[in-house]
Formats: sequence, structure tokens, C-alpha cells
Amino acid sequence: MSRLRLPRPILAFPAIGWLLIFFVAPVLLVLWFSFGYKPGVFQTHANDKLSFDRYAEALNPTFFTTFWNTLWVGVAGTLLCLIIAFPVAYWMAAKIPSRYRGLLIALVMVPYWTNFLVRTIGWQIILAPHGWLSAALNWLGLIDGSLDILYTRSAVLLGVVYNYLPLMILPLYVAFDRVSQDMREASKDLGAGRIATLLRVTIPLAMPGIIVGTLLVYIPLMGDYITATVLGGAKGNMAGVLVASQFQTAQNWALGSAMAVLLILLILVSAALAGLIIWLLLLPFNRSRRLVIGVAK
Amino acid sequence: MPTENSHIKILASAPAARIIARELNRRRFLGFAAAAGGAAFLAACSSPESTLSNGLESQLSMYSWGDYDAPEVLTAFTKDLGPKLTVDSFGSNEEMISKLVGTKGTSGYDIVVPTGPYIPQMVENNLLMKLDHRQIPNLKYMDPAFLGRDWDPTNAYSICKAWGTTGFVYDKTVITRDLFTWNDFFDAAMNEASGSVSILDDPGEITGMFYWANGIDWNTTKKEDIDAAEDFLVNKLAPHVAAFNSYPGSDAVPQDLQALIQIWNGDARLGISESDDPDKWVWRLGAPTTELWMDNWSIAEGAPHPKAAHAFINYVLEPANSLAELDYIGYHTGAIDIEQKAKDEGLEMLDMVFFTPDQIATMKDAEVNEAQERTVDIWNKMKAAAGA
Amino acid sequence: MTSSGAIAAPRKNRKPLNLVEAGLGVWGVIVFIFLFAPIVVIFIYSFNSGRLLTSWDGFGFQGYEAMIAKPAVTSSVWVSLRAGVLSSVLATLLGTLAGVAMARRPGKWVIWFSALLLFVAITPEIVDAVSLLPWLVFLGQDLGLGIFNDGIVRLVVGQSLFSTAVVTYIVRSRLVGLNENLEEASADLYASPTKTFWKITLPLAMPAVLAGALLSFTLGLDNTIVASFVQVSGTTPWPVYVLSAVRSGLRPDIASMSVVMLVLTLGAIGLVVVVLKKAGDSATQIARTLAG
Repeated sequence: MSRLRLPRPILAFPAIGWLLIFFVAPVLLVLWFSFGYKPGVFQTHANDKLSFDRYAEALNPTFFTTFWNTLWVGVAGTLLCLIIAFPVAYWMAAKIPSRYRGLLIALVMVPYWTNFLVRTIGWQIILAPHGWLSAALNWLGLIDGSLDILYTRSAVLLGVVYNYLPLMILPLYVAFDRVSQDMREASKDLGAGRIATLLRVTIPLAMPGIIVGTLLVYIPLMGDYITATVLGGAKGNMAGVLVASQFQTAQNWALGSAMAVLLILLILVSAALAGLIIWLLLLPFNRSRRLVIGVAK
Repeated sequence: MPTENSHIKILASAPAARIIARELNRRRFLGFAAAAGGAAFLAACSSPESTLSNGLESQLSMYSWGDYDAPEVLTAFTKDLGPKLTVDSFGSNEEMISKLVGTKGTSGYDIVVPTGPYIPQMVENNLLMKLDHRQIPNLKYMDPAFLGRDWDPTNAYSICKAWGTTGFVYDKTVITRDLFTWNDFFDAAMNEASGSVSILDDPGEITGMFYWANGIDWNTTKKEDIDAAEDFLVNKLAPHVAAFNSYPGSDAVPQDLQALIQIWNGDARLGISESDDPDKWVWRLGAPTTELWMDNWSIAEGAPHPKAAHAFINYVLEPANSLAELDYIGYHTGAIDIEQKAKDEGLEMLDMVFFTPDQIATMKDAEVNEAQERTVDIWNKMKAAAGA
Repeated sequence: MTSSGAIAAPRKNRKPLNLVEAGLGVWGVIVFIFLFAPIVVIFIYSFNSGRLLTSWDGFGFQGYEAMIAKPAVTSSVWVSLRAGVLSSVLATLLGTLAGVAMARRPGKWVIWFSALLLFVAITPEIVDAVSLLPWLVFLGQDLGLGIFNDGIVRLVVGQSLFSTAVVTYIVRSRLVGLNENLEEASADLYASPTKTFWKITLPLAMPAVLAGALLSFTLGLDNTIVASFVQVSGTTPWPVYVLSAVRSGLRPDIASMSVVMLVLTLGAIGLVVVVLKKAGDSATQIARTLAG
């Protein structure tokens, strides 16, 4: 190609620079702290003696019990988000006339312009033992007495799904919007049924969006320790709370840093494992995807 | 990096820090004014060094818990004495301390409101300015019982802003027997209230319950005491706990979320008074012993407006303002003779605000000591056990 | 899509097809009800005349009156809105450019950059918070870069990190695989790279850019942990205020302010949407032409 092209990543330079200065530099400091220790009651960290002792300290049974619970919430929450968001995003991208789509996208965001805690209070009022939902279900005769949903695993998932749903809907919408109708119709014209079109054309082409949505929900959710507890109480205990308790309450930045590093590694490993499993499951689709792209070109 | 090894030390000297902070404040206001595009505002703020005719600075910046002061008192302060007040909020003492440490005396805050046990470390790290009692004559309106607590025996750095204590409330339609002590609380938690128990989301309050119940010093650093607390709280109590909630009065009590709830007195009063069925809730002050926590007026080292800060503290200690503060936040301000005034005003459920000298004698001061790490560890283990 | 019946599809296929469509629509409506349920509650409770937000006493406008009487409330919302808009603009700018680069200039660097973005997303907020505060103080005071002493600038920096990663991912996922015919044609016609970017690439990416901008604004409004650490005097943002106000029991004015804030934001975004709608439409049009 002899045409005038930009050097490869030049457009990414501003973002790379920004993240290097305001993310990598300060966070490397945390990595450094993790090899230090807490020298006294009123001091948070010192690095004049270096060791891996904080890592040994962090790797205790509590950490793993908590991480196991975190993993459960993370995986179940992400899957639920995907299952709920998938049809909605598809509906918005494929069935809604384009002039209303911007409006709907904005509407997905509107609830989140009220504060997190305020939204949570809204849910509590609905779900309280003698709250609105309880009253409605009693009136319908579906339950008798109080509604016991708050502070259960269902409430944990409800809080997670509610607060992370837009992070799934938006990437999926953007991906589906890209798979044009003409392409789907062409597939049908070629005699493919509705399901076949969905499986062989729509999903493979939307795959980058599905991956992004899944990552954008799963990754931050695994480090989040507030969302799961607000409606789920003790059942929503997450590993992030260990990190926060060291940085804030115990004021032991050395141990907090070591825990943060371990948590980040475990999240990465779990995501990589999940990716591998999904890749293996989707091998058949990958083959058909290559086929479709071959046809399109 | 300057933070490493120097932990928490103020590098700039105090006068220099003050000048830097003043400069910061000026720039911030200029920035705000430019953004707002208000030329008049700009003119008004271009000389922040100006002092008012009464000798106070024209600005005052307070860093406190959110919505923690009666709005009418704040408005009246500016109207009566002049300084324009800026109020910022923090959610925990650790957050506030990190901020003061991190900004090395140039935070720009004048008044801060730390909780008692955090004051010694703030003093040790030069985060607080010594109070000039001559500028606070209204100190005479304070009840000596709430001055000179363990963490600041001479009130050199702090004066009580509000204090409270810990107890529990229970729903007598679920727990039909009478509960009085922390041991009764544990017994009910492991029996009829199992799965419907809420405890404060604060490690010291949780281990505190065990120590208070068993006559052990709350600030113990003995290994066997801490081990006993861990064994009981993690293995016995935790499986019955549904929630770790520091402010159950705002939701759990009015909405019947749990039946047995560890709670601070002012929060309990608020929750019960807002419940649809207040009669079913019973409040008990923790027994045989419990805590006394206190949030305090202090002035940050490097405060850009020290005179206005002293004037403000003096202003809120005036009996009428003290009463307005008590009415607004629902906690005792530590002023003398305020109980009678509150009764005269017709405030309700005052048995959850005022306590007898005998009761006050059972309330202990906390301290942050070497046990803190174990205490936090127990807290995390309990959460893991309760969440499993 | 309802017009697809016009294509000579076998008759037996038509009925399930409509059922599926109806199902999708119903599901969409249910999800929107789910999204708005707590917001409706908060709207109603903003007229609660009682002392506690969560406990209904009676109807009244006391919440709205109290909200105006507390400068700390109004100023925190104003701080949040300004920081939200600025960080969203910044994140969208950085993220769009980076997303385009990832999709259009693939190479080994993409793997490294993806890993960096992954780390940005994965790092717990509390870690960002404790590391960013001393770093900003170092930049602002020890290096004398006065701009980093400004509260709004600090909030913008803190909020922009995760948002930049989000926008980059979304823009990249939109462009990757959309074939480059138009851009190459434009380059063939000796259009400058800048012109190609503005006329072809950006309109193609526009739905993702808008979605990313909205998302980063929204994430910024909720930023609590980092914001509480980096704020300076006079720039307490709204979520930090709310979290801190629970100590004395949230009052109905919190709900009233939430409603006002939502309406204001909605109005502002509505204006932007009207202005940008044409751009969005033409982008969809181009995308369609391309794929067809």
C-alpha cells in the first residue's frame, strides 16, 4: 500500500500517555508498597526492608473463602446481565426505528443519573418485607404475609444486575447495530432460518461486543465490594472488602497492596479460564464465522 | 516519591503551608468564577486576604460528616459574623486523615470533625492545630463530663461536637422475652432472631460487644482475649448475621428488615420515631458496659482561616445554637443543662439522647492500638463466615 | 423488520416469527420497567414531608425547600455535573482515538494496549484512590504543576481512567470487522488522513462514540471512592456528600435533589441528542451502505 497512512498507533498515543501518567505511575507505587511493611500503629507503610511476607500473610483461608463467594457473584451476575441484556440490545438495534434509538440509549442511562445509594433506597422501599412488591403480591394472593427477599442471594444478584446492566446493554447494542439488517436478510434469502441466521450471522458478527460487554461487567464487578452488599447484606461479601479494610480501617497499606495485587491476578486468571472454556465451546461458531466473512468480502 | 518512608509527615513548614493553602483557595475561587463567568463574583473574590471589620477572615472551610449541622446555624453564622462558609464531606475518619496527610498541610480545610480515638494519631502526625481557648469563651457552656476524655485530656486539640453510645433494638413481636445485656443479645441472635440480626459495620463495635459482655477491657491487646473474641464472633455469632449495617435507623428499623439490631442511640431514636409501628421496637443501652464515641470540633494544621475557625467553634457552643444542633442531628452536643432546654422545646424520646450519670459511667472510650490489625482480621473473618 | 414478510418467505415461517418479535418487544418493555422502578419510587418519595427519606409521612414540598437552603447540597451537584461533563469529554476524546487506532492499525502494540486497559478496568477503585492522591499532590506541589491542585481537575483525572477504557473498548468493538472499503477508497482519492478520519471513520464509529460518551458521563456521576480521596476544599461531589450524610440519617431533600438533577441532565442531554441526531442517522446510513 503506497497510500498515505498514519503511523500505526499514533491515534492511541494520547490515551496511552494519559494512562501511563495517571494510572501506571501511581499504581506501580502500590506494587512497591506490597513488598514493604506497616511499621507502627499510626503509620501506613514503610519500604526500608523488602520481603514477600505480606503476600504470605494475605494468602490465608479467609481470602480464599471470600474469593470463592466473589467468584460466584461475579460469574452469576455477569451471566444474568448477558441473558437479560442480549434480547434488549438486539430489540433496540434491530426492531426500533433508527430515529428512536438514540432516545432509548439515553433512557437506558437515565436511571443511573440518580445516585447509587438513592437508587438502592428505591429498591429497598420496593422489596422491604412490607414494601410495595409485598403489598402487590399479597393483593394478588401470590404470597401471604411479608416478603423475604432482601438479604438473600437473590437480592445480591438483583443489586448486581441492576447496577451493571447498562455496561452490558450498550456494548451489545453497538455491536448489533453494526450487523446490518441487509446482512441478516441476505442470510434469510439464502434460505437460512431465523435461528440459523442468529447463530451463524448475528452472534458471530456481534461477538466483539459480547466479549466487551462481558468483560466490562465481570472485571469491575469482581473488584467491587459495595454493590453486592447493599441489597444482599452479608451474603454479598466480596474480596474487594478485604483490600479496602486494610487500606482504610487497618491503615496497613503494605498488606492492602499485596491483597490488591493477588486479587487482580486471581481475577485475570479466572477471566482467562472462562475465556478458554468459552472459546472451546464456540469452536463450531468460529468456523462458520470465517465462512460468513469470506462471503461478505 | 515523597510519600515513601516519610509516611505521614508534613514537609512544608506551617507558615509556608498556610500561604500555599491560601494561594490554592484563591486559585480555586478564581477558577470557579471564570467558569461561572461572573465578573462581579471575580471582583469579590480577588482579595481573599481581606479581613472583616471584626478581625475575622472572610472565608471559612469546614470538612465534616455530610448534613451534620443544622442549616440555620450555618446560615446564621455567616449572617452574624461574616465569613462565607464552605462545607465539604467525608465518609470515614480514615478518609479524612488520608486527605490531611496526603495534602501535607495544604488541604485548605480549617475545621475538621474527627472522632475521639483518631485524635492522638492526628496530633502525633501534626495534623491538628492547638486550640486557643481564649478565643472560645463559650467553652464554659460545656458539661465537664464531656471534656477531658482519654484521647485529649486537656482539650488542647478538640472540643465535643456530638457524642453517642451503642446499644441495640429488637422487635418484640419476634423476640417475646425481655433482653437487657449484650449476653441477652447474643443469646437471642443465636436462637429466635437467627438470620435476622444486623450488627454495626465497624470492627471495634463488633469486638466491643464481646468485650463489654464479658467484662474484658475494650482496648485489650492480650492475645488470649482477642483469641476468645475471634472464636466466639467468627464461629458462633457470624452464621446468624444477616447484615453489617452502620446506620440501620435509616432503613432496617423503619422497614422491619431485621428483628435484632445493634445500633447507635441517635440512629435508634430516628428509626423508631419513623417506624409505622414504633411500639413494637424496644431500645436497650448496651450492658453491663458499652461505649461512648464522640465527634469533635478541631482545627487542621495549616488552616488558612484560623480566627474564623475559632469564632465558628465558639458560635456553635452558644446554648441556643447547641440546642438547634442537637435537634437537627439527634445526638447530645455535650452542653451543660441542655436536657432541660430540650424538654422545654418538646423534643421527643429524649431517653435515647440523654443518659444518667450512672449510665454514663458504664460507657468506655475507645483507643486505636496494636490490636487494630487483629480486630480488622476478625471483622473480615466474620464477613466471610456470614457470607458463606 | 416487519416488512420482511414481503420477502417470499414460506408461510409456515411467518407465525413463529411474529411471536418472537412480540416476545422481544415485551422483554424490552419489562427491562425498561425494571430500570425505572426504583427511580419512580424516588420521584414519589422526593415529596415525602417526613424526617427520613425511607419512611413516608405525608405529601409536601419540604424536601425541595430544604435542598435549596443547603449550599452544600447544591454545590456538590454542581461540582459533580461539571466534573462529569469534562471527564466524559476527555474520556470520549482519548477513547475514540485509541479505539480507532486499535481497530484500524492492528499490530503487536494492540495486545499490550489491551492489557493496559484490562488493568485499568480490573484495579479496585480503592487502589486508584490511595495511589492517585499522593501522586496528584506530588505533581501539584512538588513539581509545581498548579493545575493539579484544582479540585475539578483532580476529579476529572480520577473519573477519566475507567471511562477511557470503556470508550476505547466500545469504539473498537464497533469498528473491528467493519470493512475498510470506504476509508481505503477515500485514501485512494488522495484525501488526507485527517479528512478521511473526520469524513469516514468518525461517522462510522459515531453510535459507539455517543454510547461511550453517555456511559462515561454516567460512570463519572457515581464515582465515590476515588472522588472522596482526591477532592479538595469546595469540591465535594454529590455521591461523596450523599454517602457521608447517612451518618445522621438521609433526609427527603436527597431524593428531591436527585430528581432535580435527573431532570436537568435529561434536558441538557435532550438538547445534545437533537443536535447530534442527524449525525447519528447518517452514520447508520453509511454503515448500512458499506455492509450491503
